[in-house]
Amino acid sequence: MTASDRVDLVGLGMTAMSTTPGAAPQELAREAVDLALADAAITRADVDGLLVGSSQGIRPDRLGVAFAAQGGFGDLRLLEHVEIKGATTIAMIQRAALAIAAGEARTVVCVFADAPLVAGRGAGSTYAHSGGQSGTRGLERASGVLGSVPTYALLAQRWMHVSGARPEDLAAIVTTQRAWAVDNPAAVARTPLSADDYLASPLISTPLRRLDCARPVNGSVAVILSNDVAIGHPARLAVRGTGRSHPVRHRRAGAESWFGGGRRAVDDALEHAGMSRSDLDLAELYDPFSVVTLMLLEEYDLTGGAKAGTFVRAGETGPRGRLPTNTGGGQLSGFYLQGMTPLAEAMVQLRAEGGDRQVPGASVALVGGIGGRLDHHAALVLERAA
Amino acid sequence: MSAGLSTETSRETGTMTGSDWLLADSLAPIIEGDVLQPLYDGAALGQLVLPFCASCSLPLDLEQQVCDGCGGSDIAWRRVEPVGIVHAATMMHRREPGLVLASAPYPILDVELGSGHRLVMTTADAELSAPAIGDPVHITFRDLGGVRIPSARPHNPEPTVTTSTALSQTEAPA
Repeated sequence: MTASDRVDLVGLGMTAMSTTPGAAPQELAREAVDLALADAAITRADVDGLLVGSSQGIRPDRLGVAFAAQGGFGDLRLLEHVEIKGATTIAMIQRAALAIAAGEARTVVCVFADAPLVAGRGAGSTYAHSGGQSGTRGLERASGVLGSVPTYALLAQRWMHVSGARPEDLAAIVTTQRAWAVDNPAAVARTPLSADDYLASPLISTPLRRLDCARPVNGSVAVILSNDVAIGHPARLAVRGTGRSHPVRHRRAGAESWFGGGRRAVDDALEHAGMSRSDLDLAELYDPFSVVTLMLLEEYDLTGGAKAGTFVRAGETGPRGRLPTNTGGGQLSGFYLQGMTPLAEAMVQLRAEGGDRQVPGASVALVGGIGGRLDHHAALVLERAA
Repeated sequence: MSAGLSTETSRETGTMTGSDWLLADSLAPIIEGDVLQPLYDGAALGQLVLPFCASCSLPLDLEQQVCDGCGGSDIAWRRVEPVGIVHAATMMHRREPGLVLASAPYPILDVELGSGHRLVMTTADAELSAPAIGDPVHITFRDLGGVRIPSARPHNPEPTVTTSTALSQTEAPA
């Protein structure tokens, strides 16, 4: 091998994103890994590191380190199940890049698979029935907090209260992201959407409508990192910077508990990259609900000081905007595969493989991840090598 | 107390009926040995009981083990005054069949309590709308499958506590 000081993302594999029940997570992961290996033009024999990620709680057969054997890998020097909720994907990238830089591995596969859709029950029902009857979550569920929507609805109401955001700002997020998804073959919702269409969407928990919520899918994405310049996709994407922020907060009267925690992650990733916000050509944010994108644009200081609602309604996150954001439709109209959704879209754009949704000249992307109730923030800066 | 009796009664009639206006009994917390058992034990006596640092009296999160203020690890569950103001509020329109009995959207409130805690709850009875952020609420209890659950009364129809002797932060009865 020919080693470089730089760690690159050299392979990307994505299964079809299915909105109907089907394969188990392990089968989906195997398929994504095969696609990523083919994309990088290597085989399992070239891989000496494997990081797996999976979502919590919904099904017992979630992906784990047993996938090393299940997935046909040989002996490995790095094998871990990474779990930090929605920040997991970026944590995997960080872990892989550090291991490669330290000489602990050369070529690392990171794979996330999820299959929350099971036969006989809708996704909303599956989430409503999960969570248990113990601890704080048990008390919340006994108070009608079923699934994750009502918690984010409370967050949305509070964000609108403290920031002055309005329901039409949420509508603008949803319609803008749908416009991106129209040209994304991997997106699950590609029908053009008007503001009136948005208002016709049923309320789930005020102010959030069904269209404000992510679209759970069964699917998997795998990516490959390496410092071997002799392998990989011809478009080289360098890991330039990463940052994390885990604000440890307490729920107390007189204080906010959801806001004001993530900017450090973005600052650190940019500093690590030797870049500033003006260098970013696009942003791919973790958006399980429309309000999260709206909020993060301000929390991460990505609007040049403008209110996020004003920024989005002016088209600045859309095509030809100042900061094209969630350019594949995000988790709302694209697909909800947690942290892999923004990472995969950033890779597609930086490789200039975005087709009709391609951001012209995109060379630097910010990828975000959030977890829990905005308890975990992760940021990643990727650059297409010249 | 009568909680045990009502449990038996409601379970005989199946999970789709119950004493609560909102939810099926199957969502009742399992309280024996639960980390929140002191809260449920207090609620069974009609008292709102919440955790504080035994050393510095900082109000703690429900599952917090170590005080972030002073580092103390002794937790004191204390009876507090059942009043608060709304931090955030939503009307939940999605009603999961088999879990939600109510036939209309229901409120969920995140309440800032006078004790300094925050607690998510629904209302004591069905409401047509959610109170606004900043509105005062009085805390009472719903009966869900024999377990009493803190809940909010937005319009405070009950007599207010008139003494300043402080229901707040007095030790809960054993």
